[in-house]
Amino acid sequence: MISLIAETMTGVFSPPFRRKEFFQQLYFVANKSLIIILFCVSFAAIVTILESSFHMKLVIQNDSMVPGFAALLILRELGAILTALLLTSRVGAGYASEVGTMQITEQVDAFKMLGIDPVNYLVVPRFLACVLGCMMLTIIANMTCIFSAIIVSQHYLGYTPSMFLTSMDRFVQFQDMVFAAIKGACFGGVIPIVACYFGFRCQQGAEGVGRATTNTVVVASIAIIVIDFILSYTFSYLY
Amino acid sequence: MTLFISILDEVGGALLFLQKILRSLFYKKIKIHEVFEQIWKVTADSFFTTAMAGFFVGAIMTVQFALQMKEFGALGYLGGLATSGTFREVGPLLIAFMLSGKVGAFTSAELGTMRVTEQIDAVRCLGADPMQEIIAPRFLGIIISSFFLLGGGLIMSVFGGMLMGYAFAGVNFEEYLRHVPMIVSPVSILSGVIKCGAFALVLATICTFKGFTTTGGAKGVGRAVVATSVSTMICIVVVDWMTSFLGEVILQMIRGYRS
Repeated sequence: MISLIAETMTGVFSPPFRRKEFFQQLYFVANKSLIIILFCVSFAAIVTILESSFHMKLVIQNDSMVPGFAALLILRELGAILTALLLTSRVGAGYASEVGTMQITEQVDAFKMLGIDPVNYLVVPRFLACVLGCMMLTIIANMTCIFSAIIVSQHYLGYTPSMFLTSMDRFVQFQDMVFAAIKGACFGGVIPIVACYFGFRCQQGAEGVGRATTNTVVVASIAIIVIDFILSYTFSYLY
Repeated sequence: MTLFISILDEVGGALLFLQKILRSLFYKKIKIHEVFEQIWKVTADSFFTTAMAGFFVGAIMTVQFALQMKEFGALGYLGGLATSGTFREVGPLLIAFMLSGKVGAFTSAELGTMRVTEQIDAVRCLGADPMQEIIAPRFLGIIISSFFLLGGGLIMSVFGGMLMGYAFAGVNFEEYLRHVPMIVSPVSILSGVIKCGAFALVLATICTFKGFTTTGGAKGVGRAVVATSVSTMICIVVVDWMTSFLGEVILQMIRGYRS
């Protein structure tokens, strides 16, 4: 897998650049998954704000800090990691089955015969598209989260939007947005590399593709959680 | 419009399938041996994955809570809050995500392969009921073993939180654990367990349904796997919200006031 990462990294900076392929993949990653991700993430934000209000009341008997805390939690953790996990199951599984099918029908070998580097042709456009797409999706998901949190807190907890935004302003800094975008980019980079790694190693037969897909989802989810931990730990020294 | 109708179609199909499963569970003899085999397989397969995910989830929650608690000087509550947050909400959700990636995808791939290679039809030809023989044990197995996995994951999350609390915020282990019994009430644990059960029910229904209705050869299996993981994730998030909401309403009815 390390060698696949290294080849992808060199492929990013070496010609030929496949712009058309890149835009096709970007459309697949960002546009086709947008609705699902926004839907899930807004539900998750609603649950988060209700839960954190419950906890705050339990400990310090008032929940005036809730909007700030919930917004901080959403921006720093929830938006990025939920987006990435959903993208793993959608895009990662799709890539693994696509590349795996190519491998077992010997299309990858055909690329090699034609003198095309399969890493350059298959992995690099997907990698770039996922990095960019996941970054944009994270930002949009964060916005949607905040928006749905505002609506819910107005109805259930009795905060007007202006109170919510004032409280948010006290806690959230511009750094948080930037760090969330960086997290999104890192998670986005993990997905296609894991998917293509398992896709290239896919074994013959119908079960091989299914196993490659399952492995991709599991390994990518664990990798995302671990990377999230490392990044959270690193960023916590930068505040 | 067609999208809406197709969504309704899927939901209705899954619900009818659930009804069939429940009917075969209640009216027909359950194959105890098969059920235990499935429980063992699912638990042993994914225990390591969920335990590891739980460890890191606990660690992440602790780091995040520590950042906020530091501003108030309330680090003593760190352990209780992080544990409570993990038990009530984040733990069941993330473990269900892990399970949907691992068990759900695996089960639907297995059943889909059985379907496209006509093994399910062969079972029916031999005079056995495929619902009773194949689907019901898997359904029960996934639901029961999800509770074991939840327990393992949550215990690991407490360990992860303790370690991170010590390394990151300087809260030693006794301090971390001292407020846990005060904040984590039996109701919190019960709500986490109920949530986990609801997620497992949804997951088991969807993955058996998608696997059982696979069509179209090897590509169809791949499509079924992707459809399973996407729709389970969506349904889990929606069910999460619904159980939170219903739990709140029920608690309010029992206590008579809004907590």
